[in-house]
Amino acid sequence: MALVKLLPRSPIEDSGVARAFAFGTFAVGCLAIAVYGQTYLAPAGTLLVAAPGYIYSHRHRHDPPDRIRQAVIAGLVFACLAYFVFDSVLALFGGNLPQANFVMLLVAVTSFELRTRRNLYSTMWMSLALLYLAAVFAWDVAFAPIVLAWLLCLGGFWTASHLKRIGAPRFQVPRVPLAAALVAAVALGGGAFVLLPQPSARPAGPLIVSLPTYVSFRGELENPALPLVEFGADPSGSTANINLRYRGRLGDQVVMYVRTGAPGYWRGLVFDSYQKGIWTATHSEGQTFRAYVDARQLPPPQGPQLGSFVQVYRIVQPMPGVIYAAAPVESIYYPAAEIRRDYYGDWRAPAPHAAGTTYSVVSALPDYTPGSLKKLAGQDPSPAVYPQYYDTGSLSERARALARQLTAGIDPADRYELVMALTRKLGSEPYRYSQNLSRVPPGQDPIDWFLFDAKVGYCEQFATAETLLLRSLGVPARLVTGYSTGEYNPTLDQSVVRARDAHAWVEAYFPGHGWVPVDPSPGFDPLAATRFPNRWATSGLARLIPHLTIGAPGAALGSLGALALGPGLAALLIVLVAASGWLWTRRRRLVRSRSPGEFQLLRLYERIQRRLRRRRGPAETPLEYEHAIVAGELAELLSDVTAAVNRGAYAERWPSPADMEELTARLS
Amino acid sequence: MASPALEPARAARLLNRLEDNVARVIVGKRDTVRLAAAGFVAGGHVLLQDLPGTGKTMLARALASSVGGTFKRIQCTPDLLPADITGASVFNQKESTFDFLPGPVFANVVLADEVNRATPRTQSALLEAMAEAQVTVDGETRPLPRPFFVIATQNPVEFQGTYPLPESQLDRFLVAASMGPPTSDEAAEILASRQHGDPIADLEAVLGLAEVVELQEACLKVVVAAAIRSYIVSLLDAIRLRPEVALPASMRAGLYLQRASQALALFAGRDFVLPDDVKSLAVPVMAHRLGMRGRAAAADVVAEVLATVPLPPIRHHA
Repeated sequence: MALVKLLPRSPIEDSGVARAFAFGTFAVGCLAIAVYGQTYLAPAGTLLVAAPGYIYSHRHRHDPPDRIRQAVIAGLVFACLAYFVFDSVLALFGGNLPQANFVMLLVAVTSFELRTRRNLYSTMWMSLALLYLAAVFAWDVAFAPIVLAWLLCLGGFWTASHLKRIGAPRFQVPRVPLAAALVAAVALGGGAFVLLPQPSARPAGPLIVSLPTYVSFRGELENPALPLVEFGADPSGSTANINLRYRGRLGDQVVMYVRTGAPGYWRGLVFDSYQKGIWTATHSEGQTFRAYVDARQLPPPQGPQLGSFVQVYRIVQPMPGVIYAAAPVESIYYPAAEIRRDYYGDWRAPAPHAAGTTYSVVSALPDYTPGSLKKLAGQDPSPAVYPQYYDTGSLSERARALARQLTAGIDPADRYELVMALTRKLGSEPYRYSQNLSRVPPGQDPIDWFLFDAKVGYCEQFATAETLLLRSLGVPARLVTGYSTGEYNPTLDQSVVRARDAHAWVEAYFPGHGWVPVDPSPGFDPLAATRFPNRWATSGLARLIPHLTIGAPGAALGSLGALALGPGLAALLIVLVAASGWLWTRRRRLVRSRSPGEFQLLRLYERIQRRLRRRRGPAETPLEYEHAIVAGELAELLSDVTAAVNRGAYAERWPSPADMEELTARLS
Repeated sequence: MASPALEPARAARLLNRLEDNVARVIVGKRDTVRLAAAGFVAGGHVLLQDLPGTGKTMLARALASSVGGTFKRIQCTPDLLPADITGASVFNQKESTFDFLPGPVFANVVLADEVNRATPRTQSALLEAMAEAQVTVDGETRPLPRPFFVIATQNPVEFQGTYPLPESQLDRFLVAASMGPPTSDEAAEILASRQHGDPIADLEAVLGLAEVVELQEACLKVVVAAAIRSYIVSLLDAIRLRPEVALPASMRAGLYLQRASQALALFAGRDFVLPDDVKSLAVPVMAHRLGMRGRAAAADVVAEVLATVPLPPIRHHA
C-alpha cells in the first residue's frame, strides 16, 4: 500500500561520501584524458568547475527545483552540444578529442544540478565514457592503475550508498577472505611467471611482418620525420623528392603507435619520376576534403576485396604532414579543418603533425593472393596518357639486359609471375641489404652502381632498381615510401613504429587490381600485401564495430599457443575452488552451530517462500507473511512451518529431524 | 516463586473466560477488551480515552466485575481532593487516637472515571499510588492490596473543564486504548441487549484473586527471545530518530512493551512472545507517551516505524 511513501526519501543522495566517490570517477576520467589525450586545459578546467558544483548540489539537494537554474543549465548543455558539432565536424577549436571535451563539459555543467541518484549514475557513466576514449589512445600499462582507480571509486560509491540505504553505522571489511584472495593472487601470478615459458620479445604470430633490423645502427636522426624524403619549403610535402645520394640516419625513436586490425605497410608518399638518382612526383594537383572523408567520397578499391580494417595512428613526434595509411583507403578521419588527397592517392595534412596527433583510417583489404592476382582484367594505363609510369629515366642498357635475363623464360603476359620473379631475384644473392653504404662514385648512376658494382643497398636502392627494371619490361610501376608495420607489442595491443621502420617499396600495376605493392628488399615479403590473421574478423558484425580489433589479441595468444589459456584457466579454477571452499566451510559452520532441525526448517521455509514467489519482507513477521500471501495448496504446510519457525526463532524450540523429514516430504 | 508455573493452555482458558464474560456486556471491540485485559494481567494500568458514551466506563466496570476482589470507583471532578482518593486519618474521640479511613484507592480494581476532570494535584496523588502501589498519609506508608489495577477513562482534551494529563503521568499507564464507534450491526445488538435492562447487573466474577495473581506470575515467565528484545530496542531507536518526535519513548515504554507482549502471548496460549505481539501492542503502549512536533499523529508515526523497521534475522542466537 503506502509502503513506497514510507521508505527513506533519498538515502544515496544524502551520502556525501558517495558523492565524493562519484566525483572521484570523474576525476579519474579527466586524469586518463590528460595522460593519454595530452590535452590539459579541458580536464583541469572542468575539474575546477565540477568540484564546487558537486558541493553546491549536495548542499542544495533538498531545495525545490529552481526553474531558472534548470533553464540556464539546459542552455549550457545545448552550448556544449554546439561546441561538439563545430569542433568535431569543422575542427573549429582544433578538433583535439572533441568527444572527450564534450563529455567533460557536460559533467561540469550538470554538476550543479545533481539531485537524484540517477543524476549521479549518469555522471559516472560519462566518466566511464572518458575512460573509454582514453583507452582508445592508451599505449602503455599505466592505463591499468587508472582503470583500477576508477573501479575503486565505483566500489566506494556503491558501498557508501548501500551502507546509507540500509542505515548501517559502519562497514566491516571481510579482512580474512580479502587477505587470502590477495595472497592467492600474488602466489598465482608469481607461480605462473616462474612456471610458464616466456615468449620472446617478438611473438612469432602471423601478425608480425616487420622483420628485425639487419644492423644495430644507432645514431642521431638528421631528418627525424621521414628520413627517406627530402622536404622542400612546403610543409605539406608536395614538392618533396628522394635523393638516392643522400641518406638520413635512422634511429630507434618511436615515431608513432598504430592500433590496427591487421598488419600492413603505412603508405606515405608516391614518386613516379626518376632522373639521375632523384625521385620526384610529376603531379602535384590534388583534391581537398573535410576532416572526415566518407567512403562515398572516394573511388572504390579495384579488384576482389576481403573486407576492411581500421587503424588508429598516434603520432608521438612532430613530423611533416604526411598522413600514413594502409592502401587503399576507404575512409579517413583526421583532426584538421581539411585534408588533401593528391594525384597518387596519398594524403596530406594542412600542417605538420603535432606530437599527440591522433587520426584513424579505414582501409580496404584487397584480395592479393596469387590466385586472384593471376586473373587480370582490363588494360594497363595508356603510355600516352601516363608516360611517367613507363619512363626508365637514365637506366643503362646493361640494366635493361639484366631485367630480361632475370625474367628469362617467363611469359610476358603473366604479370604476376613476371613481377614476382624479378622481385625474388633482386631480393636474393648476390644482392645484400645494408645501411652502411659507401658514397656513390661521382658521375655514376646510383642504380647502375648498385646493380653491377656495389650489390649492397637498402630499401631505396632495391625499390628503385625494381621500379626501373619493371618499367623496362613494360610493366607500369612507381616507388612508394612510408613505414613498415613496426613491432607488434602484445601488451599494448599496438604496433610500435620507430624511425628505423621507414621503408620504400614498389607498386606495380595489375590490370583489374590497380597498384599492387611488392617489396624487393631482402627479408621482406615479396608480395607486400596486408594479410588478415583471421578472415572472420573482416566480415559481418566486426566491420560495423571499427574500434574492436579482433585480430590482435589472437596474435598475442598465438605466440604462446594453447599455453596462453593456462593462466586464465588456472586463475578461474583457483577462484572457483576457493569460493566453493569458503561457501562450504561457512555452511558447515552454520550447520554445526544450529540444531539439525533448525537448519532443515529454515531451509524448508526458504524453499516455500521461493515456491510462492514472494519473499517475506524484512519488516514482516512470519505470521503476517502467512496471512498476506495466497498460498493455495501450500497454505496448510505454510501454516505449520510458520508455527514451527515461530517456535524455533522465538522460543528456541526447534523441531526434531524426524518432524522435519515429515514436513519436507509434504512440500513435494 | 514456589508455585508451579501456570500451564499456558490453562492461562489461555482463564483469560478467554474473562474476555467472554466482558463480551457479554461490551458488544464487539474484542481488541480493546483484550488490550485492557492484557494490561491487567501484565500488572499495569489502563487508560481508555474516547468520546463520551462510547462504553469506556462500561468496559471498565465489566472488567472489574469479572474479577473477584474489591472494586471501587472514583468519579473525578474538579473539586475532588487527594484525601478523597487516598483516605485520611480521623480522630477517634473514644480512644483518643487517629484512625485511618482508607480511601477508594484501597481496592483491587479501581475505576478512575474521567480522570482528566480532576485537578492536577488530585491526579498526581492517584498516579503516585499507581506507580508505587502504596499510599503515604500522615507520614505513614500503607501498601495497597494485591493485585492492584487502575482503569482510568478520559475524554478528549478539547472538552471544557478538563486538566490534560501531563506526559510524565501518561507514561505511567501501560496501555492507552480507545473504543471507537460501534458498527451499525453492533449498535443494533447493543440496543437489543439493553431492551429489558442492563446486562452488567447480572455479570459475575469469573476470575478469583488467586487466579489473577497466578496469571500475573505466569506472565513474568513468558519467554522473550533475544531477537524480540533487540526488535523492541530497534523500534525505540527508530522512533527516537523520527524528526516529528519531540519527546521520544522512554525506557519505561520499552519495559511496558515487553511486559504487555508477554501478557498478550498468554492470551494465545503461548509461553513465548512473537514479534506479532510486539507489533500489535506498539501503538497502544507507545503512542500516548510520545510528544509530537506540529500536527503529526503519534499513532501514525509508530505505525510507519512498524512497517519499516526490519525484524532481526531468524536464526540461532547462541
